[in-house]
Amino acid sequence: MRSENLSYAKLLETNNLIRTAGEETYFLGVTRTVQESKFFPVSAYIMLGYLNAFYRYPPLLRKIAAVMSPEALADRIRNSNSKIQSMGTNWCMINFYLLGREMAIDMGLIRPQDAAEDVVFVLDFWRRYQLAWRRESGHLTNKEAGHRSQVLPERRIQVYHADMYPCEEGDALHTAADKFLAAVSQYAVLVACESRVCMTNHGPYNLGHGRELLVRDFFDLAEGDLPWLDGVAEEVPFARLTVPTAVKDTHFYVVDDWGSFDSRPEYRASNICAVGLYTSDELTETQVPVGMGSREELTDMFEKYAEIFKNTTKNLWERFAGYSREQLMDAGALTYYSIIKDFAHVAGCYDVNDWMLIDERADRFRSLMNDEYGNALLGALFVPLSLSSQQFSEYEMMAHSNLPKRNYSPIPYSILSDGDYAPTVGDRPHPGVTYLPEKVDRYRTTQGVMGLAELNERVRDFTPALCGERFRYLDDAWVKYNYTSPLADEMYRIEQSFSQNLRNRGAGLSRDDVEQLSNIRGVAGKNKDMKS
Amino acid sequence: MVTLHSDTDKYEERSCPPAIVDIFHGAIKDLIRNHLSETGQQWRDFVFEDSYELITEAAVTEIERRVVDGGYRYVASATISVDERPDAYIQITDADTSADDFSFEHEGAVVEAPEPSGKRRCGQGDNVVEYPANIAGIARYYRSIKDVMDGLTNGVPEGTIAIIDDSGGTLTAPILEQFHGVICAGGTVKSHLGILTREYGIPCLMNARVSGIRNGDRVEIEVSGPAKPMEAYQGDEDMSVRVWLLPV
Repeated sequence: MRSENLSYAKLLETNNLIRTAGEETYFLGVTRTVQESKFFPVSAYIMLGYLNAFYRYPPLLRKIAAVMSPEALADRIRNSNSKIQSMGTNWCMINFYLLGREMAIDMGLIRPQDAAEDVVFVLDFWRRYQLAWRRESGHLTNKEAGHRSQVLPERRIQVYHADMYPCEEGDALHTAADKFLAAVSQYAVLVACESRVCMTNHGPYNLGHGRELLVRDFFDLAEGDLPWLDGVAEEVPFARLTVPTAVKDTHFYVVDDWGSFDSRPEYRASNICAVGLYTSDELTETQVPVGMGSREELTDMFEKYAEIFKNTTKNLWERFAGYSREQLMDAGALTYYSIIKDFAHVAGCYDVNDWMLIDERADRFRSLMNDEYGNALLGALFVPLSLSSQQFSEYEMMAHSNLPKRNYSPIPYSILSDGDYAPTVGDRPHPGVTYLPEKVDRYRTTQGVMGLAELNERVRDFTPALCGERFRYLDDAWVKYNYTSPLADEMYRIEQSFSQNLRNRGAGLSRDDVEQLSNIRGVAGKNKDMKS
Repeated sequence: MVTLHSDTDKYEERSCPPAIVDIFHGAIKDLIRNHLSETGQQWRDFVFEDSYELITEAAVTEIERRVVDGGYRYVASATISVDERPDAYIQITDADTSADDFSFEHEGAVVEAPEPSGKRRCGQGDNVVEYPANIAGIARYYRSIKDVMDGLTNGVPEGTIAIIDDSGGTLTAPILEQFHGVICAGGTVKSHLGILTREYGIPCLMNARVSGIRNGDRVEIEVSGPAKPMEAYQGDEDMSVRVWLLPV
C-alpha cells in the first residue's frame, strides 16, 4: 500500500518530533517524581488512557480538523484559559498518543510502520497547533524555549500587571490567597484522580522591580465534562480559573512541559506579593475578572471559594471512596485521555461518546491492567527504557543517558519504497465502554449552565473579536512597529475592556507606564535588578 | 510457525522488560503467531481489521486468568485492588493500622540513643519547606480510606503529625488541612503530598525513614533544616533532616 499522504519530507519531520518528544519524556521522567497512590490505581489507569489515546486521537482529531484548522483553534483560545494550553498540549497530547503506540508495538499488536498515517497526522496537527498557540514565543515546547513558557501577548500581561492587588505575608489578602490556592490545588488533584492535568503554570514574565509573574491555571472544576462531578460540584461557580501571581525575589528558572517549576531560591508562598483572579472559556471575549473590584472584594472571594472547594473536595472524596476499582480506572483513564477534549469544545463539536468512553479496542486489555503491570510498564516506558522496541544500536548515545535506547520507535522510511504498512486505526472511534454513571447533560460555563447541544451551538456562533480577521494576525511583532495605529489601539482596548486600571488606555503603554497605573506600584523585591 | 516483526529484532537481547510485562506481552504475541500460522492471513489485513476478532476481551482475560491460576500474585498500589481481588494480589501488610502497637520499621532509619533531654532520634526525611523552628505533635498513622474516613467522621485531633506512606494528594485530601505536620514514607518534595502541604503551609517531610513511632507518641520534626531541592535528588545527595521521639 502506498499513500499520497506520506512523503519522505513528512516522515523525516515526524521522526524528528518522535525523537525529541521521547528525549524530553526521558528528561521529565528522571527529574520529576512518579506518583503512586493508595486511593487510585494510577499507573494502571494511565496505561488504559494511553491505549485509548492511540485508538481514538486520530479519528477524533480528524473530526475536529474538518471543522477548524489547528491554527484557527489556537487563535480562537488565545485570550482564554483552556486545557489545551501549557501542559495539555506541550507534552501530554503527543506523548500520551506515542506512549500508547509504543505499548501496542511492544505487545506485538502493531509494527512501528503501522498507523503511519495516523502518527504523521497527529504529530502534524500538534506541531501546527503548537506553533500557532505559542507564536509569541516562537517555540514548539517549553523545552525548546529553554524550559520556560512565555506564551501570552503583551496586551494580556499588561492587564494582569495593572490589576493584580498587592499582598504581603500575614495580611488578609495574602492569607486568603494562600488558603484558596491550597484548596483549589487540592481539589484539582482530586478531580484529576491524583494527576496534575487539571492545573498548570506558565511564565515567568518579568514584571521588573525584582518580581516575576507566574500564571496559574485550573480547569474542569465545575459540573461539565467529567461525570464524577455531576451533583457533587454544583456549588463550584466557575469551571476554569486563572490566578496570576507576582512573586518577589524568586527567579523561576525552569517551567517545564509538565507545568512544574523550579526557582532560585526555593519557591515560598510568602514571596507572593500580588494576586488576581479571572475566569474565561470559549464563550468569553477575553479573561473576565472575578472579585477584582477591590482588594477587600478579592479577599472575600478567595475566602468564599476556598470554602466551596474544601466542601466539594470532601464530597468528591466520599464519592470516589464509594467507587469500584473499574470506576476509579475509568475516571483516571478518561481524565488522562481527554486532556485534549477542549479542541472539540473550541470547534463546537464536543460529543460525550467521543471523550468519556473507553474505546472497545483499548478496553479489551482492561483485565491486564493490574497495579503491578501498570507500574512496571509505565516505569519501563519512561526511564529504564527496557522494552525490546526501545533498544537500538550499541553505537548510539541517547541524550541525557548516553545509552543505546530511545523512548519511541521511529517510522521506518522503507514504507516509501515497499508500501508495507497499515495506514490507520480507522476513520471513526469504535463503540466505547464506561463503568461510570451516565453523564448528566449539565455544563457550567461563563454564560450560565446549559446542555451540551446549546453549548456547542453557542460556541459555533461566537467568534471573539480578537480572533476576527481584523486582529487575528496582529502579534507583538506587529505591535512593535504599529503601536501608534488606531488598529493597535482598538485591539488593546478590547483586551482592556474589563480592566480596572487600563481600560481604554490603548497600545502605547510601556511596562513602566503600566507599573505607574497599577495597584502594585512601589511593591518591589529586595533585588530590584533581578533579571529573568 | 509464522514469525512476527519483533521476532527478528537485532537489539532485542539487551531488553529486560519487567516480568509481568514480559509474561502478558509474550502471551499476546503467541496468540497472534498461532493465529497467523493457522490462517495464513497477511499482517496488513490482520492488524487493524481481524485482530479485533482474535484479541478479544475474553482472550485477554483468559491470558490473565492463566497467570493468576499459575500462582502469580500482583504487587498492589491501591488498596481497592487488593480488596476487590484478594486472590490475585499480595496482601498489603498492615494496611489498616489503627492498632496502637503498629509502627513503621524502615530499613535505613537512623536511630540513636536518647539525648540528655530524653528525646531520641528515630529517623529522618526530606524537608519540603524550611520553617523558622521545628514542630512537635502527636503521631497518628493515616494509611487507608478507613483511617481517613475516621478522621472525617470524628475529626483530626489538634496537633496531629500524620504518618503516611502514600505520597499522593488524594487519600488524605479531605483532612489534610487539619494536620499539624506530616511525615511521609514515600515520594519526593515534588510529589503531590509535598506540593499540597507546601501550599497549605503544613510542615512536611517526604521520603522519610522512621522506626518505632506508634499512634499517640509525641514526635518532633526538624523542619528548621534546609529544604531539599530537586537537584539534590538528581545528584543523589542526602539532605535529610531528623525526626525525634519525645519523652512522655
